[in-house]
Amino acid sequence: MERSEIAQRVTKVVARVLAIDPAEVLPASNFVFDLGADSMKSIELIAGFEEEFSIEMDEDRAREVQTVDGAVDFIAQLVQ
Amino acid sequence: MPDFADASTDKLASIFAPRSVAVVGATRVPGTVPFDIFSNILKDDFQGTIYPVSPSAKSIAGVKAYKYVLDIPDPVDLAVIVFPSSVVKLALEQCGQKGIKSLVIISAGFREVGGAGVQREDEILQIARKYGMSFIGPNCLGVINTDPAVHLNASFARRMPAEGAIGFLSQSGALCTAVLDYAHAKNIGFSKFVSFGNKADISDIDLMLSLKDDPATRVILMYLEELTQGAAFVDAARRIIHEAGKPVLVLKSGRTTQGASAAASHTGSLAASDEIVDAALRQAGVIRCQTIEEMFNNAIALTYQPLPRGRRVAIITNAGGPGVLTTDAAVHERLELAQFSDATRDLFKRSLPVTANIKNPVDVIGDARADRYRVAMSAALEDNNVDGALVILTPQSMTDIETIAEEVCNVASAHSKPTYTSFMGETDVASGIAILQRRNIPHYILPESMCRAFARAHDFSVEQARRLTPAPTYTDVDTAAARAVLDGAVDLARGYLSPSDAMKVLEAYRLPVLRTGVARSPRDASAIAAQVGFPVAMKVESEDVVHKFDVGAVLLGIDSPASATAAYETIVANVRRHQPEARIDGVFIQQMAGPGEEVILGVKRDPAFGPVVMFGLGGIFVEIFKDVAFRIAPIPVEHVRAMMQEVKAFPMLTGARGRPHRDIAALEECLLRLSQLALDCPQIQELDINPLIVRDQGSGCAVADARILTASPQRSM
Repeated sequence: MERSEIAQRVTKVVARVLAIDPAEVLPASNFVFDLGADSMKSIELIAGFEEEFSIEMDEDRAREVQTVDGAVDFIAQLVQ
Repeated sequence: MPDFADASTDKLASIFAPRSVAVVGATRVPGTVPFDIFSNILKDDFQGTIYPVSPSAKSIAGVKAYKYVLDIPDPVDLAVIVFPSSVVKLALEQCGQKGIKSLVIISAGFREVGGAGVQREDEILQIARKYGMSFIGPNCLGVINTDPAVHLNASFARRMPAEGAIGFLSQSGALCTAVLDYAHAKNIGFSKFVSFGNKADISDIDLMLSLKDDPATRVILMYLEELTQGAAFVDAARRIIHEAGKPVLVLKSGRTTQGASAAASHTGSLAASDEIVDAALRQAGVIRCQTIEEMFNNAIALTYQPLPRGRRVAIITNAGGPGVLTTDAAVHERLELAQFSDATRDLFKRSLPVTANIKNPVDVIGDARADRYRVAMSAALEDNNVDGALVILTPQSMTDIETIAEEVCNVASAHSKPTYTSFMGETDVASGIAILQRRNIPHYILPESMCRAFARAHDFSVEQARRLTPAPTYTDVDTAAARAVLDGAVDLARGYLSPSDAMKVLEAYRLPVLRTGVARSPRDASAIAAQVGFPVAMKVESEDVVHKFDVGAVLLGIDSPASATAAYETIVANVRRHQPEARIDGVFIQQMAGPGEEVILGVKRDPAFGPVVMFGLGGIFVEIFKDVAFRIAPIPVEHVRAMMQEVKAFPMLTGARGRPHRDIAALEECLLRLSQLALDCPQIQELDINPLIVRDQGSGCAVADARILTASPQRSM
């Protein structure tokens, strides 16, 4: 899967879970600091990515991912 | 060492009294720390402007929110950071860019969790340094200032305390919430209330010094779990007590691990860390409390009532038994029962029933109403022989509790001497206690607590007025000679100095070392013994033999050249039999000290407090009885005397039961010289002079044996 496609689908999941405009979801956005994800939303985000990409994410490692770009990189490793 | 003098007022001013506060990381979810802190600032009527900063909310509790702190259009004095630890550094960067100089970092997940948390704490400290910001926390409950002009509750405590004169500083946030609840029930107010958490930047010492100059704070209470900068803490506490006249009360829990390193000397094993803390707090003039209850019992006395000018108390009671209990408690606390003047006794005779006891304790009898309490209290407090009143009430059927409580308050507030009360019981006396607490008359459930609080208040009164004589600096010492010997041992990583080297170090500081020599052969022994002067003591010179008495390597009272030759051979033979592998460098010969009392002097270098000096009595039993006292070097002269008097067996040196009076002045000089040696020579890790023989008055002391453990080069401070 192309990185740009992953990025597009990640943006869609983030906007849906955090109930924000997709335009606000930038590559460098920090889930907590910029987008306001609390601990509950972080779990929902991980679940959203797993469903979107039909993957299983290690929760501890996934929680270390702080930015949208970081999530795209992390998911790219799993879908290859 | 950081400069605490600069730290206090300026950098804390905008933390305690900001004109505007940003809550960075606020959320809209009630019951969470970020929401509750914002909500507390809002509902507790903060007098400045508040800005919620939230990445996802447009407003919180009806207040417009900002996505970033940089979006706030106005200047911000204080930022309260409530973001998760992973993004605190991002928040700090923006606060720095915004020009905010003061922060309270509530977030947990830093040094207290170890590992990555330690790194995170170092990172935020670096960012704060980069922008010249100061912060309280991380990992704390927050800050409260009850000043009506500010009224800031930047914490997640359940309630804002009442305004009062007590400043409370706590290392534990959870304890703060319990204390607030406790204080609320007893109508105790606070000036400032701070949970300082990990104290990564602003320390407990900075905070206590800021309260020194805070006009709203009259008494400082601290809960501490560690004292990492012990010497600086002692210095700060002394300044607060003596320069500002404010009492400092400390509840210190836990045992530091700093002092738990393997200790080989007597002093090392006796100077457990908590005993050092105890000694240091005493030396500082701090009132150390064992429980929260004791802390507040003392605090209300110190805050609400004049300090007692003496220890003479008048006990006024409506029941005999509680009067006796209070008398016992007073005597236990070394208070004195005042002897009333004739005029007071006459007044009692005229005004009280014939069955009343007009001696101290004054029993106004079980059917007493407010008038009898008024007469007894007024007369007692006006008597020049009385320094304070302790008022007891037990609830009889005819006792008008509330009226008596009001009358006690009226009389107390009309006098400049302290009144403390104990309305004994619970349900029936509750309304009376409420009146006393509302009118700031200290009340105690138990007479014992009341007497203890009176004694501590008087102790503080004495401490505050005391001017200490600094330790003298002896100019006749040879610091270079002592350091040369010690450096030699450090370079060779020898640990213990040989007995002769230990004596050289002590001799360089003019401690009364006996003449000595080392014999390398039996013939040497007779000549050297004659030189140092008979009678002599002889012991093996060997680093390998630590417990010399146990292996027959010490012989005493040798009084002729021939005996010295024989003793040399016996000692060498004994060592070879018991410890064949031991290297023998010769036999150490020392002039004998003559008759006197044996004491132990010691030094232990503590990581937090620096050199700690120990004094105790009696060579071989010192570790069994632990009858020893400690002080932090340098020791003011008055504390040298106090530490000697703290030792229970001290009267053995001062003529108890017909024993000779020993040379206390010489002993005092030995302690002061030892203190100077320990300060001048950081190579000394532990030191025992055991025993020091204290001869009769005017005859001086003699160092009979000494051990010095040097710090390894990397441990050297």
